[in-house]
Amino acid sequence: MKVYDGSQAEGASDAPAERVKVGIAEWEVTTDGAVLTTSGLGSCIGVALYDTATGTSGLVHVMLPTAEGRENGNPAKFSDTGTELLLEEMGEAGADLGSVEAKIAGGSDMLDFSEGGSGIGVRNVEVVRETLAAHDVPIVAEDVGGDHGRSLRLEAETGDLVVKSANEGSATL
Amino acid sequence: MKVDVQALGTFNELAHEGAEQATRSLAQMTGIDGNVDVTRISLVDRADLGEELGDEQFVGVRFEFEGALSGETVLVFAEGATDEIVDALGHHADEAMARSSVEEIGNIMMSGFIDGWADHLDATIDHTPPDYIEREGSAILPEAPTEGGHQQLFVFRSEIEWVGEPIDFFIYMLPEYDPMTELMADHADPGADAIPIEKLEVFNRMTREGTETAAENVEMMTGIETAAEVTQISFVPIEDVPKQVGNDTVVGTVVEFTGLPSGYLLVLFDEASAMTVAEALMPMEPKGEGLTERHESAIEELGNIMTSGFVDGWANVLQQSVDHTPPRLVHDMGGAIIDPLAAQLGQEQRHAFIIDSRMQTDEIDFECEIHALPNGEQLREALDQLVVDRADQTEADVEQHF
Repeated sequence: MKVYDGSQAEGASDAPAERVKVGIAEWEVTTDGAVLTTSGLGSCIGVALYDTATGTSGLVHVMLPTAEGRENGNPAKFSDTGTELLLEEMGEAGADLGSVEAKIAGGSDMLDFSEGGSGIGVRNVEVVRETLAAHDVPIVAEDVGGDHGRSLRLEAETGDLVVKSANEGSATL
Repeated sequence: MKVDVQALGTFNELAHEGAEQATRSLAQMTGIDGNVDVTRISLVDRADLGEELGDEQFVGVRFEFEGALSGETVLVFAEGATDEIVDALGHHADEAMARSSVEEIGNIMMSGFIDGWADHLDATIDHTPPDYIEREGSAILPEAPTEGGHQQLFVFRSEIEWVGEPIDFFIYMLPEYDPMTELMADHADPGADAIPIEKLEVFNRMTREGTETAAENVEMMTGIETAAEVTQISFVPIEDVPKQVGNDTVVGTVVEFTGLPSGYLLVLFDEASAMTVAEALMPMEPKGEGLTERHESAIEELGNIMTSGFVDGWANVLQQSVDHTPPRLVHDMGGAIIDPLAAQLGQEQRHAFIIDSRMQTDEIDFECEIHALPNGEQLREALDQLVVDRADQTEADVEQHF
């Protein structure tokens, strides 16, 4: 994981934006308009943050609702600590947290074999919402729930989040 | 010899850290930016070693190592990547330069990889100079270690993505079995419940038997003769489970099985195979384009039959019943299908065993993958209850199938 600051792309402003893959339980922050992608979201959630003031963007792919009661895990694996980590890293990279907006996608309820109670996808959505609310970050668009998988592309130049699903085409949030 | 699950986790992290170290060295020395995608430990039948490499042409740099661990390791990449590597190093592309560039990269990365291991084990590991090779498919890998005459081998495999280039590097490490298992036993938590390694091997054979039975069922239903290809049990961090399946769109069925162990079983076809196999089950040509509902219901039926075959194979060996839910039809991105199942297990475990089998046929375009994701603690219990002479029985059964 690292922050992409454009230092490798000097003088290459006409080149297509760099694409950076974000794996499960990973995050990336960019300040130079790279395209951040993540794929295969089932019950997982992609939290995309965009600072309307500086253009700093970040994406985290979280898997489980809460890190509570777990030792020395990877914070990016959980909805609560992953969202907080991304906010922190956005701040480090120069984002003004007062002008950061969130778009979220994922949290599908597919293949939920659990009996009774909410499935992991639903709980992931709840925890991401709570965490963003606690930090006063508004969710300006979302595509969550349902019973299908999603892949995401965050175009950091504009803050557009393109959501693709296997059977239902794609939509831009 | 026993190995506890925690020790497997530690070793997976060691291998991953070694690959990270290799990638950092690469970035420092060459400016090539890499990203370690997945690291897994697999227990593989010696005959199946490197099957996933297919018949592609590869270039590799091999090393022998000796010390706290002994064995061989190799850095592998597709032959076509050589030009990019020469280019990235700022050299001119001719044959001699290609070879020395590859050796240079190999030396940088593999020294990093082996040093990473040695640092963490706080021990010395020496390695030989690099050996440059060009081979097809699994021949790029070192000869499987022969000491001890073990039929199954531990294989460490890391996949490293070259950021910005469509090129992947692979690091394979094949440690000698006995020093490896001794080291794992040294790192085991003495209070923890451990799995005897021989029983993990038995579980691999059970899975093979399950796959054979599933393949027979496919043949009975469709007349398509299939061969069970690879069976391996791998151990990965829970967040890497979806990467074992990939993100192409697949069609198939998923069940939850209950009993000891409980877990999930996925039968997945790529879309082209799903069409082929579904049409083999239909009395007449289907109307409509692409994968229709009739295709899907044929796949559902087939998934059910295959699942039963697979689970029966396990139940026979474990001598207890394994029940499963009715199959749920899935048609989605592979990673998104397995992600909720991995998450379910991830609530209680940090790493997971994943069992991968593949069947295919040369006759027509047909390939099918079976993945099982057992609950880790219950798998340990199930293996614990398995008495060894019953394991021998499994072996005899497998022989009969061949």
